[in-house]
Amino acid sequence: MLLVPCPNCGPRNATDMNYRGEAHSRPDPDAATKEEWRTYLYLRDNPSGWLRENWYCSSGCRRHFQLERHTLTGELRNPPLPGRKTAGA
Amino acid sequence: MGKSSKLARYSAAGLFWRGIRKQSWPRVWRQPAMKSTYDVVIIGGGVHGLATAFYLASNHGINDVAVVDKAYLGSGGSGRNTAIVRSNYLTPEGVAFYDRSLDLYNSMSADLNINVMFSERGHLTLAHTDSALRTMNWRAEVNKLQDINSSLIAPEEIKKLAPSLDISTDTRYPILGALYHPPGGTIRHDAVVWGYARAADSHGVDLHQQTEVLDILCEGGEGPEGKGAGGRVIGVRTNQGDIHAPVVVNCTAGWASQLSNMAGVRLPITTHPLQAAVTEPTKTFLPTVVVSGSLHVYVSQTDRGELVFGASVDPVATYDQRGTLQFTEELAGHVLELMPGLSKMRLMRQWAGLCDMTPDYSPVMGPTQVDGYFVDVGWGTYGFKAGPVSGEQMAASVANNNLPELIAPFALSRFTEGVLVGEKGAAAVGH
Amino acid sequence: MIMSNRLPESSSEVVDRSKPIRFDWNGKKMKGFEGDTIASAILANGDHILSRSLKYHRPRGVLTHDFWDPNLMVQVGDEPNVRAGHRRLEAGMKISAQNVWPSLKFDAKAANGIAGRFLTAGFYYKTFMKPARLWPVYEKVLARFAPGGEVDLNTPHGYHDKRYAHPDVVVAGAGPAGLAAAIAAAQCGASVLLVEHEYEVGGHLLWGTDDDRAAAATLLAQAAAAGVEILTNSTVTGRYEDNWLGIAQRSHPIAVERLIKARAKVLVVAAGLIERPYVFQGNDLPGVMTSGAVSRLINMYGVKPGKCAVVLAANESGDQAVEDLKRADVEVARVVDARGSTTVNCAKGSRTRIKSVEVSDGSSIDCDLLVTAVGWTAPTSLLNMSGDRPVYDAAAARFFPNSPPDNVLATGGITGDGSRDELIAHGRATGELAAGRANAARHRIQAATASAAAVAGDEPEYPSDNRAPLTRADHPELHRSSTHGLVDYSEDISSKDLFGAAAEGFDSVELLKRFTTATMGPSQGKLETVNTVAILAEARAETIEQVGTTVWRPPYAPISLGALGGRVFEPVRVSSIHPWHEANGYTPILAGQWVRPEHYGDPHAEVRNTRTNVGITDVTPLGKLDLQGPDVPKLLSQLYTNKWMKLPVGGVRYGIMCAEDGVVLDDGVTARLGEDHYLMTTTSSGAGGVWNWVENWLQTEHPEWQVHVTPLTTGLTSINIAGPNSRKLLSRLVDCIDLGPGAFEYMQVRTGTIAEVDNCIVWRIGFTGELSYEIHVPSGHGLHVWNALLEQGEDLGVAPFGLEAQRIMRLEKGHFIVGQDTDGLSKAPTTGMISLLKLDKDDWAGKTEVAWALEDDYPVIVAVQPTDPKIVPEEACQILRDGTREIVGRITSSRHSPTLERSVCLAQVSREFAVAGTTLTVLLANGERINARVMEHHAHFDPEGERLRG
Repeated sequence: MLLVPCPNCGPRNATDMNYRGEAHSRPDPDAATKEEWRTYLYLRDNPSGWLRENWYCSSGCRRHFQLERHTLTGELRNPPLPGRKTAGA
Repeated sequence: MGKSSKLARYSAAGLFWRGIRKQSWPRVWRQPAMKSTYDVVIIGGGVHGLATAFYLASNHGINDVAVVDKAYLGSGGSGRNTAIVRSNYLTPEGVAFYDRSLDLYNSMSADLNINVMFSERGHLTLAHTDSALRTMNWRAEVNKLQDINSSLIAPEEIKKLAPSLDISTDTRYPILGALYHPPGGTIRHDAVVWGYARAADSHGVDLHQQTEVLDILCEGGEGPEGKGAGGRVIGVRTNQGDIHAPVVVNCTAGWASQLSNMAGVRLPITTHPLQAAVTEPTKTFLPTVVVSGSLHVYVSQTDRGELVFGASVDPVATYDQRGTLQFTEELAGHVLELMPGLSKMRLMRQWAGLCDMTPDYSPVMGPTQVDGYFVDVGWGTYGFKAGPVSGEQMAASVANNNLPELIAPFALSRFTEGVLVGEKGAAAVGH
Repeated sequence: MIMSNRLPESSSEVVDRSKPIRFDWNGKKMKGFEGDTIASAILANGDHILSRSLKYHRPRGVLTHDFWDPNLMVQVGDEPNVRAGHRRLEAGMKISAQNVWPSLKFDAKAANGIAGRFLTAGFYYKTFMKPARLWPVYEKVLARFAPGGEVDLNTPHGYHDKRYAHPDVVVAGAGPAGLAAAIAAAQCGASVLLVEHEYEVGGHLLWGTDDDRAAAATLLAQAAAAGVEILTNSTVTGRYEDNWLGIAQRSHPIAVERLIKARAKVLVVAAGLIERPYVFQGNDLPGVMTSGAVSRLINMYGVKPGKCAVVLAANESGDQAVEDLKRADVEVARVVDARGSTTVNCAKGSRTRIKSVEVSDGSSIDCDLLVTAVGWTAPTSLLNMSGDRPVYDAAAARFFPNSPPDNVLATGGITGDGSRDELIAHGRATGELAAGRANAARHRIQAATASAAAVAGDEPEYPSDNRAPLTRADHPELHRSSTHGLVDYSEDISSKDLFGAAAEGFDSVELLKRFTTATMGPSQGKLETVNTVAILAEARAETIEQVGTTVWRPPYAPISLGALGGRVFEPVRVSSIHPWHEANGYTPILAGQWVRPEHYGDPHAEVRNTRTNVGITDVTPLGKLDLQGPDVPKLLSQLYTNKWMKLPVGGVRYGIMCAEDGVVLDDGVTARLGEDHYLMTTTSSGAGGVWNWVENWLQTEHPEWQVHVTPLTTGLTSINIAGPNSRKLLSRLVDCIDLGPGAFEYMQVRTGTIAEVDNCIVWRIGFTGELSYEIHVPSGHGLHVWNALLEQGEDLGVAPFGLEAQRIMRLEKGHFIVGQDTDGLSKAPTTGMISLLKLDKDDWAGKTEVAWALEDDYPVIVAVQPTDPKIVPEEACQILRDGTREIVGRITSSRHSPTLERSVCLAQVSREFAVAGTTLTVLLANGERINARVMEHHAHFDPEGERLRG
């Protein structure tokens, strides 16, 4: 089972976490065309390789944070540093 | 059905005579040299790709077709699924589609001259809550309108069909009822792959294993290298060389979105593993397929006596097919909830396959914004069940360059139009 | 009872002759000793056939005498598929043979053997295509041949707990290398878990020389002294991501079998080697055994495996078997040394035992035992699971690890050959390396954890691998002789089958495996894989490297569902009032994780009483979020479709939440308790999801907003007091809240004291359509307040009502339920609450999609009444276009209304049919079509809302 490094709680079993999927940014809802909005809703890069994604420490500190994970090997890189605010981005 | 004159026909008599004469069987399919040009290239040598090739040749007379697979035939989802077939879906469009598939499965042994061991053993979807009962009833009512044999039954009747189930009411997840679908059952998944491969081959389709597509070649599109909307496909680049073809059909799972990007067509897909496991064989005791959506488990017993288990897709998107311990733990816990007598059975093997999940748990089929590039992807956890009908419909789509009515609800454009298919409600664990 | 094949007692044996054990084998009473395996005890009693093969029902005896022996699967009581070459004999065991009918000695299905010529691998694909109706018949016959034991459906669940372990180092395998690795790692300060598949530690030293056994004893003592935790009869079944390990602990004082989940910083794989059988005609005759089986039977169990032996030896293990046989007084008729050029062509036998061996030099030798020592399979499963792809070395005739990840180290026979001392030295070096790497990993984890204590000292260097590798001894490549024999014993697959399948085109390892089912049986390729690959290579005229191999999947050894499932641990949630419900005749209903009262006997009476007098109901499962901070109104405006910036203190408002695709996510009321203090309620099933949703918006899109969220779902016990007498009842319990109609109006909130409990929240809302108050009290006092309401309201006719009455009343009132009357595609307009969809408001979740949806066609929730008031359509009944089968909607909620004395429904219909007064055609479950009318309002009862505003 993947160890997911919550910046606050440290490495925790993935089952302690809530996976929120690929990180993507929300278009301006007032300006977005249907195509842009539905791209935001439905289309994902889904790479076989490095993926920037959102996690939620749902059984721990309730922090949302981002990770870069390799979807083929399970490796992580640039894990969030403890104590640094990672919201947004 | 087209004639299959080149086939060494399978039959009991054939077995007998070859046994007597100690004769071996000829190759099940040829190993053709790869040509530089085909009318149609199909990417993916699973049930979908092979069925599409077969129906292109047999129904439409298009046999200058290559099927390429980066590994061996049936190495993806076709060989990793739990081989359950059924047609008791929730939406009218889903029911019509899968019912056609079930028809094709029913006659497949005779049509393809190979015993695919279709076992019409009945399919039970258990309900543990009143809201689940309501959904079962919804399915039953929709099914009834399309003459699908599917009805809600009470615990006592369930017990008769599957005596190993615990129907007492003091359990954590009491069995309140079930949707019973007698025409559902299991099939030998590999035989389906081989059957289509052998039949397609006999119609002149070239099967190329160990042939990986590295790029899809396009011209005239708005994107780089002529890819993307407005363009047209001109072939594929493989690790065995380039193939020129005016039509390329993406019949893959797991890598569908990556391949599609090569044509400049983005897909609404995320790839998740779906895990399965089998126990050691025992004498058979479970005559039907049992599914519990609330407990995320489905189970059937093979003729060899192994229990075959599946669950819902893993929550974390990944292309890793190694499987998890967590899956086996939850699976075993839930199976014992349903059938407490099985605690001494042993799990023998677990594996995973890749599922391309779409936002509405329904596939993406037909032509795309790139002329000549067709997709038959996004099957989530339902790909195997839909194999025959997908092949039939995709062949028609390719042959006529249009979107047949039966698969019209599954067009890629529905995501930009915002008209999703309503199958998701019943799909959490849909086997 | 004579144990006719028992050897004289020796110092090497593990059986305890002072402790005889009685057991039952196929109804025969037998005697063995403590320490015997089931198979050794049966053999000692003179029986040598232990099973019948799958397809041809050929008699089978001991082959490898270990866990993987495919011929030694037996039934023990209610336990199927017990490994008789591994499992210790226990007093009173009732053991029987599997896969025999009617008996082991006379097996009627053995006739299949005659038909073998026609039953080639995959034969069933080639027949029974037509007529289709015959296949089910044949299928039933096939199922009778299912090879396993019998499941007793009354098997008790048994006690199975689980353990979590966090060792620095886990060592899989306690042979000399594994023991040495564990000792060295522990001596370096690592916490070490040593896991041994067998009942004793020592590996092959146990059936070796006296010196070997002494060395094993010394290592065991050192391990104990170093503080190594040793688990025997336990297997590391799987290595998963980040060294998450499953360990099956089969011997445990309390648990029947236990799953240990260990997060090892380093895994050392010291799994040893598995001896490969040889493929030749007759290789499955009883009396053909591997050298390991023979040495174990003689040295550990004191059992004589035969009277006259031929030994095919390609390595030292064969030489040792020769010595062991001689010591056991077994005549060794011939040693065929395969290191030269001779080998065994085939074996011939009677129906029940080998009789002679034909050697490649043309000689034929009579015997009743053929011992083969032809090489090894490296059980690289755990390395495979770590991502390694082992490579074949033709000179050593086996696979070796390639490049496992840094936190997985291999040692011992799996990596090379060597003397006992060399193996131990390699193990020690591996243990030291493992401890060093574990220490570095520990530092890294601490440094990456904000909440962990500061790390002492500098980060230690991550040690590199400087171990001197073990050498690889040359070994002849021996897979198949000149004849065809069985490759997969559990599946009855011969080398001829494999050749045939390859010729048919199933010529890659995976296709071959799938077509023939070779390696798919209970030993999962431990004995068969390499021979299968070798024979495919032969068929393709290629090398083993070119052919490649299959991937070994978890588990390494089978593990019981009981151990995997553990104790069934599915908690339920109950409110603080639950004891009262239980004591007062409630009927429970499961709602998500909650157990709630469905009713207390008669839900219709509960409705009538509430509408006439006053009823109280426990609504604790309502999701409740305490929101504090100056930016709460912004948050609410973002999440709900309607406006929130001007909600006054003391006000309550209803809202609908949408997901970003416009689909209804949840609904509920939110109250403003103070200047910066709000209480949000959600649906019961949506509580967790909404909390996540709120946090998501606050942390990712608007981290600048100052809002603090505290979930209070179980912190507050919630009671709804509904009915004409509710004001009178509540006024008897509150002190400083003025409940007067002008002072406390519909959709307002007050805080104060109820039944002397401080910090209670009261709001006036009306889900039931009655004058009603919902009170939220600190949950420690929930039961007290509930009782106070019942006591104080006796003269007012107070009575509890359950979920069913609540549902009836809300349906009478026409309130939809998210997830029942809406579904996964219902966008906000479907609710019919168009006035709540504020498109003139700035950004809110789902706004864009809702705006587009309003321009399109969409289904609408309407109230529906069947023309015949007695007919209550089933929920989910379909609504059809009249005279057709076209679905235009469905009944989403349906009940008999005791208030109106007629059936009342909510339905989703396409807009065309949503016009008040439209007559709908409803298809009942019994197939009958009935008419129903679309009503003007959602509310069937009191549409003007006079009662709830009263």
